[in-house]
Amino acid sequence: MRIVDPVGTSAASAMTLADRPHSLEGVTIALLDNSKPNAGVLLERVGALLAARGGALAVKAWSKPGSSVGAAHAVLEEIAATARVALTASAD
Amino acid sequence: MACVRLGTDEFLPLAPAQVTARGLPGLPVVTVPHPIGGIPAPAAAAKAESIVESVLRALTSRPAAGNAAVTAHGAGMTVGDVDAPDALDRFQDWLMERGWGDGLPAIPPTRDRVAAMLAGPRRKREDVVAVLVPRLGRATVEAVAANAVMAGALREHLPVILAAIEAVADPSFNLQAVQTTTHPCSPLVIVNGPIARRLGINAAGNVFGQGSRANAVIGRALRLTLQNVGGARPGKEDRATHGHPGKYAYCVAENEAASPWESLSVERGFSTGDSTVTVCGSEGPHNINDHGSTTAEGIVITVAGTAGIAGSNNLYLGGEPLIVLGPEHAATVAHSGWSKDDFKRALWDGARVPLARLAPENIDRFPALDPEGFKTRPAGALAPIARDWRDIMVIVAGGAGKHSVFVPTFGATRSVTRRIAD
Repeated sequence: MRIVDPVGTSAASAMTLADRPHSLEGVTIALLDNSKPNAGVLLERVGALLAARGGALAVKAWSKPGSSVGAAHAVLEEIAATARVALTASAD
Repeated sequence: MACVRLGTDEFLPLAPAQVTARGLPGLPVVTVPHPIGGIPAPAAAAKAESIVESVLRALTSRPAAGNAAVTAHGAGMTVGDVDAPDALDRFQDWLMERGWGDGLPAIPPTRDRVAAMLAGPRRKREDVVAVLVPRLGRATVEAVAANAVMAGALREHLPVILAAIEAVADPSFNLQAVQTTTHPCSPLVIVNGPIARRLGINAAGNVFGQGSRANAVIGRALRLTLQNVGGARPGKEDRATHGHPGKYAYCVAENEAASPWESLSVERGFSTGDSTVTVCGSEGPHNINDHGSTTAEGIVITVAGTAGIAGSNNLYLGGEPLIVLGPEHAATVAHSGWSKDDFKRALWDGARVPLARLAPENIDRFPALDPEGFKTRPAGALAPIARDWRDIMVIVAGGAGKHSVFVPTFGATRSVTRRIAD
């Protein structure tokens, strides 16, 4: 039999990912903490290791007010204006 | 800006849905072994070493193409057909294999059945009622009707289901979090007004239980739509640690006839002639037994003693915990001359959690998540169960007996009420 597809259609649209730098030499790395326990700890350590191995200029951290809400628009703009690459996190 | 997303391996199934919905299916994801929370900070930091090379590579090399996947399931407003097995027993297996069922038998949503659901002067089938996250699925009237057929709903149930879909998509409900959280929550549908009586939506004895078709199929249709159109599949995007039985169906009517007070919808500015749905991002109901109290003061002590618990999201995320007073408890409270607001105020004053009942790690963590509520509070002070007494929701439902129920919520969600277009 034929049935009506219960999933329907999606409104998602495709965007192009940003170009990646060839190396982290001299770039600023942004960290966006989702405020779950230890997320910031893991991000900071990854950031420090990346800076040491990749020659990054700086590592700067921002955070979301909580894991169940998105980052403030102003925070995203600040990250975009400050950093060339960013690490975000989810999960427990 | 080049971005890489970190997570734990347990949560990897959620990542494709989230990046696809944002239009970035090729966004790199790097995982560490689960968990990072609930372990000492040095143990979490130690996990960085194993992924730093992957992160470096992902930040500095061209990501694999993945954007083509976005349009794989159609881009228009018209829902397509799918070939399914004719035999009903085989159809059930087929549905489950695709991740479109909930485990209970479902009615095949054939064109004829969906057309019957949509018959009459209703909204057009291609009207988009809401776009549902995390998938950004278009809940067109037709897509919702297909799920309603599967749930066993009848044509007259559809207006309630459509209003509930509209309500959960309101930004203040925070559907993204309710659909994907580890917390055991699901939209509780509370129906008020004449339509509840007309459709026979149970408001009385066993109100949260089995035995009423309208409650079962309305609740189930909403759940199937959220799972299929919204793309929150259990164990994949739906990350619930336990879930709860209301994730099959969770719909009640307020027992307006047995309530001594104005109904929830009247409280929210609707008239008694209006029919409404209210959705709450709710846990399962927990019983409040009080066979002894004969006054409002007594009832509120028992309710407060049940609601003031340390492990509730409402304690640090805010939100609107719900008390469903049984009619006999409500009558006892009203007989003492209390209004519904009097009861809410007294409950808010009484339902406090001593900080001594919270672990030191949580006392450190909660102020960051709820600066207003926690930072200014002296050590040892009590935490309320909601940020304001007005945030406590009270309805009357159930049958004879000396019981009420407490229904905590996800916290970072607000209940939403919508008029039912009938």
